[in-house]
Parts: sequence; C-alpha cells; structure tokens
Amino acid sequence: MLLELRDIYFRYHGEAPILEGFDLEVQDGEFVALLGPSGCGKSTLLNLAAGLLDPLSGEVDFEGKELKGLNRNAGYMTQGDTLLPWMTVTNNIALPLELRNFPKAERQQKIERALRLVNLWDARDKFPSELSGGMKRRALLARSIIYDPPMLLMDEPFGALDAQMRETMHQELLDTVGRTGEGVLFVTHDIAESILLADRIIVLGGKPLKVMEEIHIKWGKDRDLDQIRKDPEYTALETRLRDLLRAAHS
Amino acid sequence: MNMMTKVESDKELAQSTRAKPRGLTRPAPVRKSPARYRLENLALQVLLIGGFLLLWEYASDRWVPKLMVSKPSEIGAMMQRWLMDGTYMTNLWVTIQATFFGFTFGAGAGMIVGFLTGSWRRLGDILQPIVTAFYTLPRLALAPLFLLWFGLGIEFRIVFAATIVFFLVYYNTYFGVREVSRELISAVRIMGASRLQVMTRVIIPSALVWVAAGLKISVPYALVGVVVAEMLASDQGMGFLLSRSASQFSASGSFAAIAGLLVVALIVDWIITKITDRALRWKTVAEQN
Ligand SMILES: Nc1ncnc2c1ncn2[C@@H]1O[C@H](COP(=O)(O)OP(=O)(O)OP(=O)(O)O)[C@@H](O)[C@H]1O
Ligand SMILES: [Mg+2]
Repeated sequence: MLLELRDIYFRYHGEAPILEGFDLEVQDGEFVALLGPSGCGKSTLLNLAAGLLDPLSGEVDFEGKELKGLNRNAGYMTQGDTLLPWMTVTNNIALPLELRNFPKAERQQKIERALRLVNLWDARDKFPSELSGGMKRRALLARSIIYDPPMLLMDEPFGALDAQMRETMHQELLDTVGRTGEGVLFVTHDIAESILLADRIIVLGGKPLKVMEEIHIKWGKDRDLDQIRKDPEYTALETRLRDLLRAAHS
Repeated sequence: MNMMTKVESDKELAQSTRAKPRGLTRPAPVRKSPARYRLENLALQVLLIGGFLLLWEYASDRWVPKLMVSKPSEIGAMMQRWLMDGTYMTNLWVTIQATFFGFTFGAGAGMIVGFLTGSWRRLGDILQPIVTAFYTLPRLALAPLFLLWFGLGIEFRIVFAATIVFFLVYYNTYFGVREVSRELISAVRIMGASRLQVMTRVIIPSALVWVAAGLKISVPYALVGVVVAEMLASDQGMGFLLSRSASQFSASGSFAAIAGLLVVALIVDWIITKITDRALRWKTVAEQN
C-alpha cells in the first residue's frame, strides 16, 4: 500500500470537524481522482497526505510506515502558487533536483525535458511574476513531477489551462505515470478529466466528509484517450458522476 | 416609408453601437520614450533649483538679512575656497569614514540579531520587547555615556551612528524574516530541503526585500548620526565644520558645509540603490508588470 489514511479525525482550530472516521487508500501505481463540491475538504486531504497537516486522531501511513512530519516522498502540486518569486522558471523547476542532489549531468537533461514537456522552454528565463496563470500552473506541474517521486499529490493541476494544453498534459501525465509507476492522488472539478485519467474515482461530500461513491475505471494503464471519449460507457459514467455530484452538493 | 425608417434606424443603431466603444475606449496612451521623459524631468529640476537660487540671490540683503541666509554667490565662493585648500577633502573624508563604519557595524549587527530573533521564535518573543524599549530611548541621551566610554575620537561617532542604523535594519530584518510565506517554506521542504536550504533558498531571499529597504533608509541616518556626533564633540568632519561656521556667525560656511553633505548623501544613496536593485532584480521585474 502506497498511502493509507485511517480513521482520520480533523478540524481546523475552532471549526466544526471536516473529517471524522475518514478512510482513504491509494495502492502502488494507482491513479485516484477525488471529486467533490468546493470547500468540502479535498485540499485538506492532500495536505494531510503531504504531512503539512497532522490528523488530530487517526493515522496517515506512507509505504507502510506511519508518516511523521512532512512527506518527502510525495511531489505536491498545490492549489495555490508556490513558485519562488525570486527564481526564474528554470531555477524553480530545477529546485527539487538540486535539493535532492541529483547528479549535474542528469539535471540538465531532465530540466530541458520538463521545460519542453510543459511548453515553457521559451519562458525559461522569466520570473514567475512575468507568467500568466496557466504558465504558472505548468511550471508548478513540471516542478512536482521532475524528480519522479513515488507519489504525486495534485490539486486541480490543469484547471487554468486551455483545452488543447489540457489534452496534451493528460497524455503526458499518463505517460509519465505509466513509465515511473507513481501513485497519484488527484483533485479535480472536471468530471471528464477524472474519467479519462483515473483508475478509481472517489466522490466526496458532506460535513464531516464522507465517501459518497467509489467507481473503479476499467480502462487500464495504456488507455487511448480518443478511443475512450467515443466509448458509450464514458458518456454513461459522465452522466452518473454528474448526478452523484449534484447529490453531493446538497 | 415605414421600411425606410426601420432601415435608417437600424443603421443608426449600428452606427451608434459601433461608435460607442470607440467613444468609451480612451485613445491608447502615447508613451514618451523613457529617456526623453527623464531628460524633461531633469530639465525641470534644474529649472526649479536654478530659479530658487536666483530668488535667493536676489532676496538676500533686500528682503532677508544676509547675515542669516548668506547668498548663493558667496556660498559658491566659500565652496570653491574649501575645495582648493583641502578643507572639504579632509573633513568629508573623516565624515565618510565614520559613516561607512557606523553603517557597516550597525547594519551588520541589525541583520544578525534581526535574523536570529526572526527565525527563532522563542528568542524573538523574549528579545523583541527589550529591543523596542531601547529603540524608544532617545539616542541623544546616550551620547554623554558614549563620550565617556569612547572619548572624542572617531569611535564615538561610529558607535553613535551604528546605534541608529542598528534599529532600522534590525526591525526590517526581523519583520522580513517573520513575513516569509509558510506555504513556500512547506513547499520547499516537501521537495527535500534541509533547514539550512530553507534558510538560503527561501527565508533569506524573501527577507532580502525588507532588509534592502532597511539598509536603504538607514544610510542617510548613518550620515545624520555622524554629523550630529561631530557637532556634539569633535574637531573634524563636516558636522564640526557646520557647527564651527555657525558659531562664527558664518551663514556661508554653514551652507557650504550642508552642500558638501548633500553631495555625499546623493552619492551614497546612488551606490546603495545600485546594489540593492541588483540583488532584487526579480522584484523590479514584478513591479514593472
Ligand atoms: N487554514 C484553514 N483554517 C481554517 N479553515 C480552513 C483552512 N483551510 C481550509 N479551511 C476550511 O476547510 C474547509 C475545506 O477546505 P479545503 O480547502 O480542503 O476545500 P476543498 O475541497 O479543497 O475546496 P476547493 O475545491 O474549493 O479547493 C473549508 O470549509 C474551508 O473554509
Ligand atoms: Mg482545494
């Protein structure tokens, strides 16, 4: 088991509990998508998995061991902008490699690949303040996947991208994950995206947060996204998830 | 007929809707080239100062007693004399030296203490009120003590200026370090940063904006501190020149000393701006957008 949240109780100081007896697990190499209304606690879940927040009771296990402090084996693409404003795009993306002492020769090649992957090669010498919102998201994406961590935590990674860029990113993410075998916990508001990418979709809702529904997707790892879009089952799933989300909202 | 009016009114409508945005959008601002803009400003500044000097020259001895305000031509003559006989050189050099060391020691200590108290919360909570208590103490009240300790030499002036600079830089560093985004720190730590790396990659660059601002504002204060100390007790430096001229009822001398200080202040400010701008290039880029 890659990640396991067990019997979690959590609330922000002075607020009603967001999580109570909450369980969630991600298998090795599994791609799990979280869908749920805004403000229900998805980012909170990712923060718990990243070790940025500690559960008030219950346990977060990573690779079989209880997580103490920060989860340094997870690449976390946060919902907010956490690029360092005083570093150029290149230096921001290179930061994890540098902090983890990747050999110099390997670094250069990875950086160039990552920059091209997210289409920021021409903007590589810019500072974050000179980027558009979508470009910042792409830089963050590159930074969180560049060092191939065992797990990716992604909070609405593609929300600010145009449709074309998003399609490219979907394919790239699936390729990367397929190659490295990383597990992914992926928050999105986009139903179609969750169907295209995930092995398992979890619909969340309620306060305290409950798993409303869990849907296993059968397409497997080497899926063809264009093929899936034409599949009648895709449409059926979309309709079903839409209804579930509508219910989760109320 | 009805048809006609309809067509016409449609046309009108089309025209008015098309004209509307044109009327609403302001004409694109024609930007002057930055060089041209600066040149114009410079010309206006020269004009303003020149006009003031002319007025001064004219008013002196006509509307205001010359003994009190002197006049630019006489001040100019005095400046030239001081320039030739080395009065400026020797005294300016003394003042600049004291300012430099006062600034360096004060800023260095301010940065170190500010950094420690800012990043070590417990220490900050203990020391911060004490530092504030000292800050509210008028520095001039310490002058007699410093004189007692350090005598009339340059050390007194250096320490006096340093105590002023220290607080300015300390506060900026302290708050700069505390302001650092916790989100950024977490993000970098998850990427694998050690404590030291968090310091060098996040806390220091982030606090640098504040520290630089503190350094910049404290330069003129260092100069003021030295000049005041020189006026209080010294037989050299621009402050000494100033107080000696005043005690001899020489307004020309006083103004000539002030003019000398002005030039030094401008030069020092220019240097420190160049240095901080380079360190904060990312910030300048952000402000231009
Ligand atoms: N630092 C905080 N302090 C107090 N309350 C918080 C804090 N962060 C989040 N919350 C509250 O916790 C709840 C869950 O927030 P969270 O950010 O996990 O939602 P989310 O599901 O990620 O929403 P979205 O889809 O809009 O990003 C919200 O009601 C929010 O107001
Ligand atoms: Mg969120």
